[in-house]
Amino acid sequence: MTIARVALFLLVFAPGLSAFAAENDGLVLPKGFTVTVVHDGVGLARHIAIRDNGDIYVTTHQFPFLGFDPAKRIGVVALRDTNGDHKADIVQSFGDNDGTGIAIYQGMLYVSDDVGVYRYHFDGNELIPKQPKETVISGFPLERTHADKTFTFDDDGHIYVNVGGPSNSCQQQDRAPGSMGQNPCPLLEHYGGIWRFDANRLGQTPKDGAHYATGMRNTIALKWNKDANALYATIHGRDQLDTIFPKLFTAEDNAERVAEEFHRIVEGGNYGWPYAYYDTRLKARIIAPEYGGDGKKRAERGKYLDPLIAFPAHWAPNDLLFYQGANFPAAYRGGAFIAFHGSWNRAPVAQAGYRVVFVPMKKGLPAGQWQTFADNFTGGPLADNNPRNARSRPVGLALDAEGALYIVDSVRGRIWRVTYAGS
Amino acid sequence: MSAVRCAGALSSLALLAACASEPEARAPADPGQAAYAANCLACHQADGRGVPGFQPPLVGSAWVHGDPKALAAFVLTGGFSSVTRKESASENVMPPFTQLDDATLATILSYVRAKFGENSGPVSAEEVTAARTLLPPAH
Repeated sequence: MTIARVALFLLVFAPGLSAFAAENDGLVLPKGFTVTVVHDGVGLARHIAIRDNGDIYVTTHQFPFLGFDPAKRIGVVALRDTNGDHKADIVQSFGDNDGTGIAIYQGMLYVSDDVGVYRYHFDGNELIPKQPKETVISGFPLERTHADKTFTFDDDGHIYVNVGGPSNSCQQQDRAPGSMGQNPCPLLEHYGGIWRFDANRLGQTPKDGAHYATGMRNTIALKWNKDANALYATIHGRDQLDTIFPKLFTAEDNAERVAEEFHRIVEGGNYGWPYAYYDTRLKARIIAPEYGGDGKKRAERGKYLDPLIAFPAHWAPNDLLFYQGANFPAAYRGGAFIAFHGSWNRAPVAQAGYRVVFVPMKKGLPAGQWQTFADNFTGGPLADNNPRNARSRPVGLALDAEGALYIVDSVRGRIWRVTYAGS
Repeated sequence: MSAVRCAGALSSLALLAACASEPEARAPADPGQAAYAANCLACHQADGRGVPGFQPPLVGSAWVHGDPKALAAFVLTGGFSSVTRKESASENVMPPFTQLDDATLATILSYVRAKFGENSGPVSAEEVTAARTLLPPAH
């Protein structure tokens, strides 16, 4: 790094770092926003939902392949503030759900794990549902990767479920150097897209789902946007361009080129995986090297849809929320918050992401440059450039009835409540 | 950016971030380290500690510490792919590294054992050759 670049870095970033102190629990936010720590840490948290009465529900995931022990399931964590300071006073867990998806729908709590979607009824104001869970959808095959069955609801009684592709790029041998893609990719029949089901019918299986969109590697963050009456989603781009095809790509290409994609999802749309990826520099769909690409060859025009926004590579967008609250300034209304969990596949280049981003939107389209909204989750530079050393990583988002934004972290399950207090 | 310039510039957190942004700028002197960087680092990371949930750590791994031929055979075969195998402790499965020649794989494994395996001793090209004969024929 030259002296000039250091000076430029200071000029551009130093003002934003002035809030590094313990103020706002170490998070860096735009002026006027404050943070309350709702809970220090509930465990290996994933997504978060909030009931109209303010009760908070968080999914946890023990990750079976980290030495899964069914006895260690936390289930869903329920939190209640009893004195109005927005800090959780009652914290209890219930059930055996071990997964990511969670939302309140028609007063019920829907949750998902890697193989199904379930729901709980509440009896009045109870924090912990007494009735056992009902199974809405079951029978997704258990996969070891891209397995989260995250979901969202439209206003017409449908639930949309993410069924990620259990592969990086549908190679004959996953992630193996030089291994070419299976053509056609057989995974796309049952994976790598979004399926639409009946939100209220119990006992559905994958074959009851309508194949809504395809070519999506992993779409952990998906949300119905009421302003646009349409489904929106972010897609995790493919990994390891350089280690799989070292003659075609550098580590820097891998770290920078493959976009994390923000889309308005069109029914029947094809988003390219595994045949093509969206290149952040060429700003085009490029044929994947597993399918004969060389890093430059463009995909057939119009075959695959382009993103609304191509976010930097490997940032891992893990939740999406449209701001419909009243607390934040008017410029935030209808805009999108995206929680980026942060990268692992940028090494040896510096890891990145680990932030909550805001996209100003009008009538369902981006209306201005996206900006980092909440930052410094890692607690400063990442030691050894390894994500395991991050102090926290944003993974889930929710809004409460007052319009406060909740952010949940995956490292300790820390929960923050962000409000606007004025300039 | 050199380490010296980095150290001299640590007067602000902004520069600490700037220093950390180019963690692998120095060229590795050890051929094992260079080959590790090209073949292994993306998943197991520069510190050999892997990524929680995605790729297992080499530090503390029984395979890394253990018999050199077993280690070589493991890397040549790749990780366990069955969803029920508890030995495989992460989402992603290591592909077979049969494309590496014996000498290159030996330098990588020797580097890994020296750096992450508490000096469990080098692996020779002859041991990799011997491990290769243990593998089932390619399908």
